[in-house]
Amino acid sequence: MPTTKRIRSKIARGSADLAILSLLAEQPLYGFEIAKQIGERTGGALKFTLASLYPLLYEMEAQGWVEAHWQANAAGRDRRYYRLTTTGRRQLAPLREEWRSFFRALDALAGVSHA
Amino acid sequence: MPDWKRLVRKRTRSLSLSPAAKEKVIIELSDHLEEAYESARGQGLDERASMRHALQEVGGWSVLLAEIGGTRSEEGSMNHRTKSLWLPALITLLGASLSLTLTQFLGPQPRLVWIGRLGMTFYWPWLASLPFFGAAGAYLSRRAQGPTRVRLAAGLSPALIMLIVMCLILPWGLAIDGLHFLRLVAFGLGLITWVAIPGFALLIGAVPFLRESEPTAHTIV
Repeated sequence: MPTTKRIRSKIARGSADLAILSLLAEQPLYGFEIAKQIGERTGGALKFTLASLYPLLYEMEAQGWVEAHWQANAAGRDRRYYRLTTTGRRQLAPLREEWRSFFRALDALAGVSHA
Repeated sequence: MPDWKRLVRKRTRSLSLSPAAKEKVIIELSDHLEEAYESARGQGLDERASMRHALQEVGGWSVLLAEIGGTRSEEGSMNHRTKSLWLPALITLLGASLSLTLTQFLGPQPRLVWIGRLGMTFYWPWLASLPFFGAAGAYLSRRAQGPTRVRLAAGLSPALIMLIVMCLILPWGLAIDGLHFLRLVAFGLGLITWVAIPGFALLIGAVPFLRESEPTAHTIV
């Protein structure tokens, strides 16, 4: 059903913003490491493909939420590291609050506890 | 070992980006795939299975290209700074300039306040209109998710530009006429008339938009 798909994609999209910003608030990371850590830390519940991760990172970069810089690793391979900016950090608190209130509302309605 | 860069370059041929931007995307994506491949190899998968595993990470080339094309082209034509600072500042400046022109042509005579031999010109209808332009600049900047200082700069742009212009003119005046007390006083009065007072009027309008916007309700449609 198209509507269900849209709801799902909106939820997934919103959670993706929060997941990426929360991770980058801890330390700068490059794309593969972001996807890997999100997968590992959510027990595989959230999984990013290239098609979902990079457009989002580029959009966040365009909005000034993250900054990217190239850095070579020990093997000399260039990696593009993303770092949270002050603007991005400011987005994080309202986004967390938004999700908290979303879960509270859902819990009140359907008994879906997020704790 | 597969040539990931070659593969990504081939698959992203239709991506309409500048060559430099496209190359960066190719390097980043191929690096991701290469690492996914190496990780699978590290887990004991053979070459073929590792390649399949890495390619599953793509999630659809057509989706990837469409999404990247959308975000990157937007970035190219209008980046964050343009949306949050330059555009709101330009709109504020144009609005304030238009208002001044209309006031000068259609409005009442300006009020002149004399301080000794020097006069200060006040266009009250124009000054009264400035809070609206300050509000518009800060609002547009906030809508583009500009941080507080950027919203402030966008809202006060007409006064800031006037300040820059006056600071550029002063050394020329001093170079031509020499350092005169009267000229410095005139400069100070000019600053009050064209920078400080208009700046304050713009600030009145901008202030409500300097705070962070409240989180909006969930829209699940």
